[in-house]
Amino acid sequence: MIPAILTGVRLHMKQASRNPFDLSGVIVWPILYASIAYYLLDAKNEPRLLLSASLGAAVMLMWSMVVIASSGALEQQRWQGTLELVVAAPTPLTAVIGPICIAGALVGAYAIGATLIWGALLFDVPVRVEQPLAFAVAIPACALAIGMLGLIMAATFVLYRASFHLGIAMQYPVWIVSGLLVPISFLPSFVRPLSWVLAPTWGFRAIQEAALGGTPWPDIGMCLVLSLVYLAIGGSCLIAFEYIARARGSLRLT
Amino acid sequence: MNTLRVVFVGGLTSYRALFNWISPWIFIPHTLGYPVFEILFFVYLGRFAGVESDRFFLIGNAFLAIAVTGMFGMGHATAGERRSQTLAALLASPANRFAVFLGRALPSIVTGFFVATISFAICAAILGVHVNLSSLPGLVTATAAAAFSCTALGLCLGALGLRGRNVSVFADVIAACMLLVSGANVPLEKLPGWLQTIASGIPLTHGIEAARGIANGASIAATSDLLLKELAIGGVYLAVGLLMLRLFEYDGRRTGSLETF
Repeated sequence: MIPAILTGVRLHMKQASRNPFDLSGVIVWPILYASIAYYLLDAKNEPRLLLSASLGAAVMLMWSMVVIASSGALEQQRWQGTLELVVAAPTPLTAVIGPICIAGALVGAYAIGATLIWGALLFDVPVRVEQPLAFAVAIPACALAIGMLGLIMAATFVLYRASFHLGIAMQYPVWIVSGLLVPISFLPSFVRPLSWVLAPTWGFRAIQEAALGGTPWPDIGMCLVLSLVYLAIGGSCLIAFEYIARARGSLRLT
Repeated sequence: MNTLRVVFVGGLTSYRALFNWISPWIFIPHTLGYPVFEILFFVYLGRFAGVESDRFFLIGNAFLAIAVTGMFGMGHATAGERRSQTLAALLASPANRFAVFLGRALPSIVTGFFVATISFAICAAILGVHVNLSSLPGLVTATAAAAFSCTALGLCLGALGLRGRNVSVFADVIAACMLLVSGANVPLEKLPGWLQTIASGIPLTHGIEAARGIANGASIAATSDLLLKELAIGGVYLAVGLLMLRLFEYDGRRTGSLETF
């Protein structure tokens, strides 16, 4: 199962990195969100806030890549008629779909480089990482946790034909609740407990604390714990939803 | 008469093809949830930054919701035909091209209009933003002008779909650029001069400015110059789009690339 997961991650990362047109989206979207944040937050005259906005915009894209790229990949398989074969294969569906989600988050991590370079060149955002080792660990930990959260979403993608649209609809709610550009303290109080169970909250905090100087390791640990929880939930949902999709005979419907 | 039939019958068929298969559990979050949360996201960002009022972001993003549907509806019309391998058959028919693709965009535009209106009402209620009933006709006029210009830009994107295989990503990027450049989320005076110049030549910028003026109590007559600019920009994109449609269809036929996907 582990070789299947590693091969899947490598394959889907290669696939997502080959099309310059798709990659342009990975670069342009976070740069635009970061630019909006720079122009709006510039009034506060706090360079660290701008660096935090760069990282927040990058994590936003990681989540987008997970929900959009993974739902898109599954939709593509429906259209190509290969989804049934994937489901029929003896390899557990979790080992097939999990790598799609993780690869999406890892490709989304390209955005961290893009927003940091963009911010430094055009907005004089200081790019100084206080804890490089923790920063290097925080990025894959964040990608893993976000990818595993995507696995839960992906279970619904197997069930519904309109998975791509559901993926798109899930972007803004998670961006808001995770406090990626706007601190959670600015949001209504009922949002806070929701943010605690979402991987982007902890992944972003880990990367932010590592870059700005703080205590990133507990957040990294939280990413790993959440990844395991998501894996358990996502794996169970996939088994259940796969059964329903087989019973309905809806896997082939495009 | 035949052109009108192609627009409306084609539009109705396209609407059924688009939405008949979708579950309400996905249709509602997708069509309504996305713009509502987009508005809330930028409102909270504005509050955090201490820039502009809730109304500023509410109007800007409600307008974007309309723009995106018109633009995407038109842009995806050709991409959808290509994907389902019906583009060549469609272009082999003698039907008026503009009528064919406008028919496919019409359901998106109408849906977008209602979605934006409902999103605006929901977010205004959540955020406690009050808009006078007397300004509604003006807002509807500004909305119609913006929808027209964005659909015209969508026609250019749709024409590109006759030539390129992956126009959807390009349309996504254009929509993302509009978040920044159109003045929906960043006050235009905060943008650098070269971006302001671009902003003045794209759809939506003048429509949003007019709508904000109307919501703040200005009359339609007082904002007529902005509305006329919005319509003029839409007219230019419409002319360019029609030209591109003709050129790329000819090129697609010549190179036999209409069925590649």
